[in-house]
Formats: sequence, C-alpha cells, structure tokens
Amino acid sequence: MATASSKNIEFQGRALLQWKATLQTQHLLNTWTFQTSPCNWTGVTCRGSLLSHRDHHHFMPTITRIQLSQMGLEGKLETLNFSALPSLRVLNLTANNLHGSIPAAISSLSKLIYLDLSDNNQISGSIPSSLGPIPTEIGNLLNLRDFDISNNQIIGSIPKAIGNLTKLEIFSAIINNINGPLPNEMANLTNLIKLQLGNNNLSGNIPQDLAKGGLLQNLSLIYNNFEGHIPVSLKNSTNLIRVRLEGNQFTGDISESFGIHPLLDYIDLSFNRLSGTLSQSWGACLNLTSFKISGNMITGEIPVEISQMPKLQLLDISSNKLVGNIPREFRRLSYLFHLNMSNNQLSGTIPPEFGDLSSLKILDLSRNKLSGKIPIQIENCFELDLLSLSNNDLSGAIPFQLGNLKLHRVLDLSDNLFTGEVPTQLSKLTELQMLNLSHNELVGRIPSSFQLMRSLTSIDLSYNFLDGPVPQSKIFRRAPIEWFIHNKGLCGEVQGLPPCAPSSWESRDKKITHRNKVIIWVIIPTASILFLLFLIAAIILPYCKRKKHTATETAEVVNGGIFTIWNFNGKEAYKEIIEATENFDDKYRIGVGGYGTVYVATVSSGETFAIKKIHKIEDQASEQAFRNEIQALTQIRHRNIVKLYGFCSTNEFNFLAYEYMERGSVGAILRTQRELLFLLSCCISHLPLGDIGTLLADFFSQDSLNVDGYYNSLLSFIDQAVEEGFIPSARHIFVSASNAKELVKKLEEYSPCHEGVASIFELGSHEKRTWTP
Amino acid sequence: MAPLVLLPSLYLLLLAAPLAISTNSEGEALHALRTRLSDPRGVLQSWDPTLVNPCTWFHVTCDDHNHVIRLDLGNSNISGPLGPELSQLQHLQYLELYKNNFEGKIPEELGNLKNLISIDLYENRLHGSIPKSFGKMKTLRFMRLNNNKLTGSIPRELAKLSNLKVLDVSNNDLCGTIPVDGPFPTFPFQSYENNSRLNGPELQGLVPYDFGC
Repeated sequence: MATASSKNIEFQGRALLQWKATLQTQHLLNTWTFQTSPCNWTGVTCRGSLLSHRDHHHFMPTITRIQLSQMGLEGKLETLNFSALPSLRVLNLTANNLHGSIPAAISSLSKLIYLDLSDNNQISGSIPSSLGPIPTEIGNLLNLRDFDISNNQIIGSIPKAIGNLTKLEIFSAIINNINGPLPNEMANLTNLIKLQLGNNNLSGNIPQDLAKGGLLQNLSLIYNNFEGHIPVSLKNSTNLIRVRLEGNQFTGDISESFGIHPLLDYIDLSFNRLSGTLSQSWGACLNLTSFKISGNMITGEIPVEISQMPKLQLLDISSNKLVGNIPREFRRLSYLFHLNMSNNQLSGTIPPEFGDLSSLKILDLSRNKLSGKIPIQIENCFELDLLSLSNNDLSGAIPFQLGNLKLHRVLDLSDNLFTGEVPTQLSKLTELQMLNLSHNELVGRIPSSFQLMRSLTSIDLSYNFLDGPVPQSKIFRRAPIEWFIHNKGLCGEVQGLPPCAPSSWESRDKKITHRNKVIIWVIIPTASILFLLFLIAAIILPYCKRKKHTATETAEVVNGGIFTIWNFNGKEAYKEIIEATENFDDKYRIGVGGYGTVYVATVSSGETFAIKKIHKIEDQASEQAFRNEIQALTQIRHRNIVKLYGFCSTNEFNFLAYEYMERGSVGAILRTQRELLFLLSCCISHLPLGDIGTLLADFFSQDSLNVDGYYNSLLSFIDQAVEEGFIPSARHIFVSASNAKELVKKLEEYSPCHEGVASIFELGSHEKRTWTP
Repeated sequence: MAPLVLLPSLYLLLLAAPLAISTNSEGEALHALRTRLSDPRGVLQSWDPTLVNPCTWFHVTCDDHNHVIRLDLGNSNISGPLGPELSQLQHLQYLELYKNNFEGKIPEELGNLKNLISIDLYENRLHGSIPKSFGKMKTLRFMRLNNNKLTGSIPRELAKLSNLKVLDVSNNDLCGTIPVDGPFPTFPFQSYENNSRLNGPELQGLVPYDFGC
C-alpha cells in the first residue's frame, strides 16, 4: 500500500484512541470507540478527500479538525501521534488540563492553520504543569495562521524559527513564563494582525521593523521587561486598533513610533520611560476612546489638538513632565468621563470651561502648579464622583457651589492656599466618603452641619487655622487627632482636643426642623444659655407652696402655664419641684414603677405634675435608657398617654415630669399646653456641662421619628386594649419605655399605685389574650 | 510549581499565579448582564467579551489581580433587568447602578457578595422585596435602595449588618415595621420616609403583630 493511503481514517482513529488511552479522563471521550467511525466522535470533524492511486480514485474521509475545548481533559499532549494526522487543519485544545511538553512531532501537522493550546494551565499540585518550551519545530507549520498558547506556564524563549511562519496572523502567548528577546526573525511575520505577548518575562529590544506589513491591528506586550524603542514600523501602521505596551522599560521619543492612526480605539503606554512630547497628530485619531501614557517622561505642553478627539472618554497623562496651561478647548470632550493629569508641572488656571464636561466623573489635577481659583462652573459637572485638586497653588475661597455636586468618592483640596471659611454648603455632600481640606489657610469654624455628611469615612482638616467646636456626630467623636492637628483653636470631644469652654459653645448652629407639626421646638440661643428656658409661673415662698397663689414676684405667668420658654431658670424649676415634694418625701409618693418612684408635685403656680424619680445608676446602659425614654415619650401625642413635660438630671438621680391626670379629668391648665413641648434641663452644677451638652446634642441632632407615622402601631394597640377593657382606666396609663418591646413588658409589670395617677394594671385579673389589631 | 520558583522575576510570580485560573468568569458574567440591557448612550460599548479580562472595560475597575472591585454605572440611562451573574464578581466592593432604569427584582444572589462595601441601586424601577440574603453582606457600609418600587418588609436580617452606616429605603412601597436592632436605631427617619404602608418600629415582646404585610 502506498504511504498516502496508509494513513486512512481507521489509522487516524487508532492514533486518537491510543492517545485517549493515555488520558486520565477517558470517560469524557466516551464516543471515541473502535466500533464507530472517527468522523462521528465528539470534537472530530472529517472532510472527504480525493485520493488518486494509479488509476483508481478513492474518496476517503480524513480528519481535518479536532476541537475539544473546555472539556477538562487531563493528560499529556506528547502522547498524541501527530504524524498520524496529516490532514489536520484545526487543533483546538483550549481550556483543558493538559501538561507535558509540546512535542517536536507537531511539525508533521503541515496543513495546520489553527493551533490553540491556551488555558491548559494546571491550577496547583505536584504534577509538573508546564507545557515546556515552544519547540523549534513549530517553524515547520508553514500554513499556520492562528497560534495561541496563552496561559500555560510555557518556559524558554521564542524560537527563531517562528519567523518562518509567514502566514501567521494571530500569535498569542500571554500569561506564560517565556523569557529572552523577540527574535529578529519575527520581522518576517508581515501578515501579523494580532500579536499578544503580555505578562511574560520577555526582554531586550523589539525588532524595529516588526509588523512592517502595516496589517497589525492589535499589539499587546504588557508587563514584560522590554527596552529600547517602540518599533518605528508602528508609525505607519494605519490599521492599529488596540495598543497596550504598559509596564515595560521602553525608551525613546513616542512621536518616532506613533503618527496618525485613524482606527485606533485604545492605547496605553503607561509605566515606561518614554520621552518626547505629545504630538498634534494624536488629534487625528478620531476613533480614540482611551489614551493612557501615565508614568513616563513626556515633556512639553498639552496640544490643543487633543481636544479634537471626538470619542475620547478616558485621558490619563498623569505622572509626566508636562508644562503649560490646560487647554480651554477641552470643553469639547463631551464624552470624557475620566481625566487624570496629576503629577505634572501644569500651570495657569483651571479653565471655567471645564463646566462643559458634562460626562466627567473623575477629575484629578493634583500635584501640579495650578493657580487661581476653583471655577464655580465646576458645579455643572453633575456626574463628578471624584475631585482631587490637591498639591497645587490654588487660592481664594472654596466655592460653596462644590456642595451642589454629587460626589461619592473623594473631595480633596488639600495642600493649596485656600483661604476663607469652610462653606457650610459642603454638608450637602451626603454621599461623600472622603473629604480632605488639610494644609490650607482656612479660618473660622468647622460647620456643624457637617454632621449631616452621613457617608463620611474620613475627613482631614489638619494644618489650617480653624477654631471652634468640632461638630457633634459619630465620625467626629471617634476621629483620630491627626484629622484636626495644627489648627488655631479647635475644641470638642475628639481625644486630644481640649473641651470647649461654655462661652465658645453655641447651640445656634443646630437648626433642627421636626416633621411633626404638632410639636414645636423652641430654642432660644444666647451665648450664656446652655439649656432651654422655662418660666416659673409663680414662685411661692416655700412655706406657702402647697396653696394655690397667683401672685409672684420673680416670675411671670405666660399662657397660664408653668412651662414656657421665654425665661429660663433651671435651678428655680428644680427648686420648685424639690420643694413641692419636700425633697421627695414619701407622703407625696404615689407609685412605684419599673425604674423609679413617682411623686405628685404641685408647684407654686398651682400646676400639678407627676414626677418620676429614677435612681441614677452608674452604668451607661441606664443612662442611655433614660435618654431613650425621654425621646420616646416626648414624641407621643395621644389621648390615652400621659405627656412628658421635661426631665432633670442631677448627679444623684434623674427625674421626669409628666402631666398629672386626675381620674376622669384633665387639668384645664394643662390642656392649653398640649401643643407645646419643652425639653428642659435643670441642673445642679456638679454635672459637667459637657455631659448635658451631649445629652441635648444627641437629643436634638438625632432626627426624631414622626409619631403619626411610626407609633401608629403602638397607639392602635393601646386603643384596642382600652376598648376591649384589657387596660382599664385609660386616662391613667403610665407609659414609659425606650422601645415597644420594653413598653409591653412594663405595661404588664406595672404595679398598683396611687389612685390619682397611675393606672392599676394587673395582668392576673384578666385573661391574657393575644391581639391582632 | 517548581518551575515557577526558578523564575527571577518576583512580580511575574504575583501576576502569573493568580491568573492561573483560565476562565474569564468575571468578564463572562458582565457580558451576560450586558446582553440583557438596553444602553442608548453606548456606555457599555467598550465591554468587549473577547478580551482576556474586563479590566480595560470602561466603568469597570479591577484590583492588582485583575478582579473586578468597582462597577460605576450611575446615571447612564441603562434599562433592563439585573441578574444573578453579578454575584460572580466575588471581589466586588462598589456596586453603583443608581439613577438608571433598571427593572425587575433585586437578585437574591447579590447577598453572596462578601466584600461589598457599597450598594447603590437608588432611583431605578426595581420592584419586589429587599432580599433577606442582604444580611450576609457583612462588610457593607452603604445601602441605598431609595426611589424604587420595592415592596414587602425590611428584612430583619439587615440588623446583622454591623458596619452599615447609611441605609436609605425611602420613596418605595414598603410595609410592615422597621427593625430596632443592630444599626437601625442610628438611621434617621428620612431613611424610611414616603413608604405609606410602613408602620414604625417593630413591636417585639408578648403581643404578636400582624400587619398583613
């Protein structure tokens, strides 16, 4: 038999079966059997071929393609008898687990056009996983057009014989361990369309006539150790679409290697040692969307022509030696979303035209020599997410318009010459995570509205001339001192800062609006007043305090009530209550509750209050519970629930003043006070002012819940309970809890007390029911 | 791994080793998402699935190991449904999809994003409920789901998110009660406003509540 026919289909099939037998994963090829024709096997394609033998014409099928991608095959490539497959045009074994070496015998695949062995990398383990070096014999595959061995831990260097593959269009060997230089013979590969050799250990100079055919579209040599010049042959490569050369040590003038590339979409030359200037011809790259040349030694000015690239979306020329002004013409780059020109020597001002960059998301001009003011037009960059102008010579005031931006990530204006105050409008940046205004000449206060910046994770105000109190919110209280050092006179609760003296602390900054229109917060800010004021209606001499007198010498009656704000004397109020109860004598005790004892107090004006005295416990939790109680109760406006008037905190105890409800009636005086709610704090001086301040600050700054919205559930529960008789004597319910859970618990455990005030609520006498309002 | 040890270049070790996994699962996941979306502004035009990884795609940010850590598609006029494949971005830290026209439900699988710091889905057209699986996002600091058409209740599981600093579920159609545990007491009432069926803080304790939510 002639040699040609000896490699008939059965012979070819047998070779494949022999290979299958060497694999660890034979079950994946279960269609490969002796009984069936190879042409029906998984991944095998045949074509008819006409064979002439003497005067006989035989039509013989022969294997032309083997495509077994992503099958998880495990085994060696070298056990495949390549010489048995002379007609093979396509061999695709990508994404399997083959190891061993690429055998020299592969050269017998003389008709091979497409060879893909990529992604055969073993993930881990002791099995030798490298596919070895590229054999020189690869140069015999003269028909090869597409050669992919990416991601395989290939070692060794690229054989010179590769230059023989003149039909080669695609050569991809990314993510391997290939070393050595590119052989000069690679310049013979004039048909190259795509050359990808990134993420290897290649070194040396690139042949300067590489891809001189001008057909090259995609060149990626990233993260190797290439040096010398970028091939000058690229300058005339008008078909270039994508060029990635970042992460090497290329030197030389970029304008020698690049000219006009009308199809160029993406170019990244970053992190090399390139020099020269940015040529105007870049402006003719009308399809360029991404231009990155960061981290080189480019000099000269930014050519205006850059702004002529209509599709430019990302421009990164940072970390070079560029000088001159920022061209105003940049306004034309309407698709530009990422502009990084940091770390250069740019001078002049930030053009106000930047306000036209409506797509801009990231703007980094830091570390230059820019001067002048921040143009207010920058507020038109609605999508700006990150703005860094740090390390420049910018001056003037920080424009309040920056507060109109929707910055999420960073606002960094540090290391400039900004003067004036910190604009309060910056507090509108409620999504901002990082704010840096350090190393400037800012004066005045840190706006207390900064506590509204809920998303802040870091804020640096150090090295300025700021004074006054640090705003009261969690991030400020927990801040490290480094965020505030080197200022004029900051004070506050930050560890390392002095506490604020009373005269310097203002409650004026706190303007809290409450949604509930029923509750009116009245705060009188004056420098000397630390607390809300309330008026003592009629101060009666102590020995007369139990009688109802109408005249007073020291106080006015306004609106017929004791609790009015216009004048404040906390000590008087406290004194009134102490006197009214004869220092909480038992004869005024009307009940005992969960946390404390309840007394009745009739003050000199004739008003009567229920005072719940809570023994001050030294732990944080109780203190917090106390505050929570106040907050919870002050919200409640309901006919079935007692109204809280105020609280007092001393070093020994706390007490709360509630309205006193006589059985079945409501004090006429108290009714007029319904619409007013007062928070008062009357304190003995030994309680440090800071504590009171914190208490009030927490109380005021914490947005309160709208009772109508949020306590409906609670109130309807109580209504239902009252209607059903589950809770008797509705008007006398004494409700006080920090949350609903505790409320229910207290309702159940509240013990009997004075008939005039607290309700008698006994669980035992009623059938316990579950409620579904 | 013996051949690797012989390599002189340490940084290549760092690059090559993590890239050992051959499939581009993160790029494929993003591509699968993209095929379902309508993108009139062409914001996703750079999302070429034939590239070896999505790290050069616009609005995608990767870390040094070529894993996607940020997706910044806010305010891009994109419409279409989200999908479970986003959960394959296991290193994702910032999911910024706000101010678009995303519709359909919030995929439950997003709860598998163990490194997520910020999820901003606000101002879209999402419906359905907030997935309980969001309680697994232990590193989460910002959750903004406001201005959608979300229904159902605020899952109690969210109280486990001890790092959550900002929660905004306002302007939806949520019902039931608001959890009172974990970080919830720190959130101001604006976080919940304009949810007409939302009933205030939950009532724990002896009286079981059913709001028919």
